[in-house]
Formats: sequence, C-alpha cells, structure tokens
Amino acid sequence: MHQASMSIPEYTAPATLDDALGIKKERGAEARVIAGGTDLILRMRDKVFSPSVLIDLRRLSLDGIALSDNELRLGAFVSLSQVLESADIERLFPALPAGCREFAGPPIRNRGTLGGNIVNASPAADLVPPLIAYDASIVLSSSDGERVLQLMAFFVGPGQSVMEPDEILTEIRLPLMPASSAATFIKLGQRRSMAISQVNLTTRLSVDESSMVSEARIVLGSVAPVPMRAVAAEEFLLGKELSEKLLNRAAKKARDEVTPISDVRASLSYRLEMVEVLVRRALLATWDELRGSAPDG
Amino acid sequence: MGEMNIEFNVNGKQVRVSAEPNKTLLYVLRGNLGLTGTKDGCSSGDCGACVVMLDGRPVNSCMVLGPQVEGSSVVTIEGLASNGELHPLQRTFGETWAFQCGFCTPGMLVSCYALLELNDHPSREEILTAIAGNFCRCTGYQAVIKAVEQAAAELRAAKGGAGND
Repeated sequence: MHQASMSIPEYTAPATLDDALGIKKERGAEARVIAGGTDLILRMRDKVFSPSVLIDLRRLSLDGIALSDNELRLGAFVSLSQVLESADIERLFPALPAGCREFAGPPIRNRGTLGGNIVNASPAADLVPPLIAYDASIVLSSSDGERVLQLMAFFVGPGQSVMEPDEILTEIRLPLMPASSAATFIKLGQRRSMAISQVNLTTRLSVDESSMVSEARIVLGSVAPVPMRAVAAEEFLLGKELSEKLLNRAAKKARDEVTPISDVRASLSYRLEMVEVLVRRALLATWDELRGSAPDG
Repeated sequence: MGEMNIEFNVNGKQVRVSAEPNKTLLYVLRGNLGLTGTKDGCSSGDCGACVVMLDGRPVNSCMVLGPQVEGSSVVTIEGLASNGELHPLQRTFGETWAFQCGFCTPGMLVSCYALLELNDHPSREEILTAIAGNFCRCTGYQAVIKAVEQAAAELRAAKGGAGND
C-alpha cells in the first residue's frame, strides 16, 4: 500500500567519501544520505523528503568504534545494536547503551544508526541526551574539509540543524570522563518498546576530591523544540555537596526551564510534572552510582 | 530512475533481481522472488510481520531498500526448515499453539530464530526483548515464550547428545 508512493529518481553507493561529498557539493539538499533508513524511508513515503538522489554510504566503513587515550570515536553509521555490543561503551559511557536498550525493538536497532538519530534532529531523539551529557562533539565533512562542533550546538528546531546542504555527518567523538563521574538515562514512554518518548533525559555528575560537584549535566528531550540542557539547575549544583535536598531543589529548577508542548503523546502539564519527577529520580540514581563506584576510584 | 540490478543471497541461493530503487526488500522478496511467507503488516517498521535475517541480524524488510542489500545474505521464513525438516521453533510454535491467525508468525519466528542462533538458553526476559518488535494481536505472547523455551531445550539436548559430556 505504501510501496508506490515513495519516489527515488536516482540511487548511488559511492566507493569513497570524496565521491559522496562531491555529489553533495553538486546536488546539495537534493541529495540525501541513507544510513539505516529506518526514519528516512518513512519520511520519503510521507513526502516530507523527496530527494532527487539517494547516497548510500554502506561501502565507506563508517561504522568503526575506536578508543584512544583521550576519547572514543564512533563512525556515524554505528548501529544501535553495535553500541549495545561494545564493552568499551558499556564501561565508559553506560548511559548511551541504556538509551539504545529502550529504543524501538531489535530489528530497528539493527538498522538504525547513531548518525541518523542525530541528523533527524528530532526533539525526541533518545540518544541525543546521553551524547550531550557526555559532551559529545560531531564531525561534519564536506569537499572543502571538515568541521568539528559540539553536538549541543547542532540543533536549531524540530528537524532542523546547522548542517549545510553539502555536509555529511561522519563521526561522533566522546571525551573520556573523569574518574568520579556517573550518568543516568531515563526514558518515559507508553511502553518499554516501540514507543516515542514523552520525556527522555540524561543526568551526569562529577565530584572532586572533597566530594563537591565539579560537573553537572541535565539534558532533556521531548520538552522543547530542540534537545536542551537545564543550565540553571546544572549551575545550581556546582561546587555543592550532594544531598537529597539539593537534588530535589535542582529538579524543581529544571522544571522551570523546560518549555514542553501538548501533543498526542503527552500533555504539557504532565510533561512538566514528569520533568521534575524524572530529573530527581535520575540525579538520585547518579548520586547512588557515584557513591557505589567511589571506593574503586 | 529505471530498474537496478541487485545481486544477493537468499536462503543460501545467489539471486539477481531487477527493481526500481524505491522498492523495499520486502517488495523484492514477495514481488520479484515469490517468497510470500514474509508479510506486509504496517509498512512502517512497527509491527514486525516482515522481519527477515539480513547478514545475520533480524531487520524489518519494509524498512530496507532493495539496493541496500546488494552483496548481502538474507534468510526468510522459507529458509528456516532444512532438508524437509522444520526448524524446532516451527514445530514448537505448533505444539504450544503459539499462533492463531498466523500473520505475525513468520516475523515472530525469524526474531526467535535470531535469538536462538546466539543464545540457546535464553531467559524469559531475553525472549521478551527479542520479540519486542513483533506484535501479535490474537494469541498473545505467553505461548510464544513457551515455544521458544521448548525449542531452546531441544536444541541444547541435540547438542548435548552430539557431544560427549
């Protein structure tokens, strides 16, 4: 029934990144990259996108996971299943696989990619809050070279980003975290599988030698036109000693910062309520994790 | 654009089809190759009726374009039986009444097959995770879980029998 409605005038699978970037340079927004296709195919069927040429990058091996002394580099084509199977990611960035685990179901996780989840620029993207909480940067390549920017600076509005028509997202970089740092991912949906988030979030806290908060990240999805950080709540936590009362107050502050809408998935008032509840829950779990891991650090 | 030639392996056989690039793997399997065991349910990656194995992993064939499988290996429901013998899962699905209308069954079976290929002693939780992308709207999931547990036990017994522990 859907089959006939999607139009793909031209399809190509270039052998090199340079070839792919050359097509992007020439055709711009008319050319779209297909990775897993799990979102793009739907949007082409719905005529949200009608590219004149589809560029399939499967031959370019953009699915590597490489750990170095100071960072982890993930190719844009790394699938959600690959994230779940990586022992390095589970050990160093556990909130990211936590986000993948509740993402759709296995058949979609086998195709869907990290790069796709970013480039779609959906306010509800589940993997963006953990990536931002880990201070991810991304690499945008074009035939003129590449630029590296903070993932936080990528999003402009629902479905909109700062990516230029001739650019392709090729890599995601995560700096290694300090020893006393922990993070928690929470997703609220109507089911544990196959559900788009009503609210999703990741909190991350680091403490210094005297147990004062040295870093705080509270990153929320589905509560604003773009994934956002509750900056006032984060700043409130800095330099303070963790306590239940402190985290309760931070959660209240986060609630004041978000600007959700009512939609088919949840009402505005429900989302506001849930932001406070879930930020508190996530911060408490993060604190727990910090205390649990302290003796090893 | 006109049709493209796509060469890939289906159920152990090398095939070559000609299809427009907007045709999905699901369409190619059913329309070009006559493998109609794989079902078209929602056409949007939600229901799992179209699940097939692609290079060793279960995927929604409605969410894969034909040209994306160039050079790949696909296993469909038609490929689970071997030498005229049903896969243990196909038999235990029957024995435990793990289907009623049967529409979800090909995709459900392929997801369960993918699980047992990696893990012949799955927990209940692992079975539920494996079929999280497969919707059944009549029988329910309890009988499916039972069928998978029973097939896993048979596979382990077969392995144990072949070994010398």
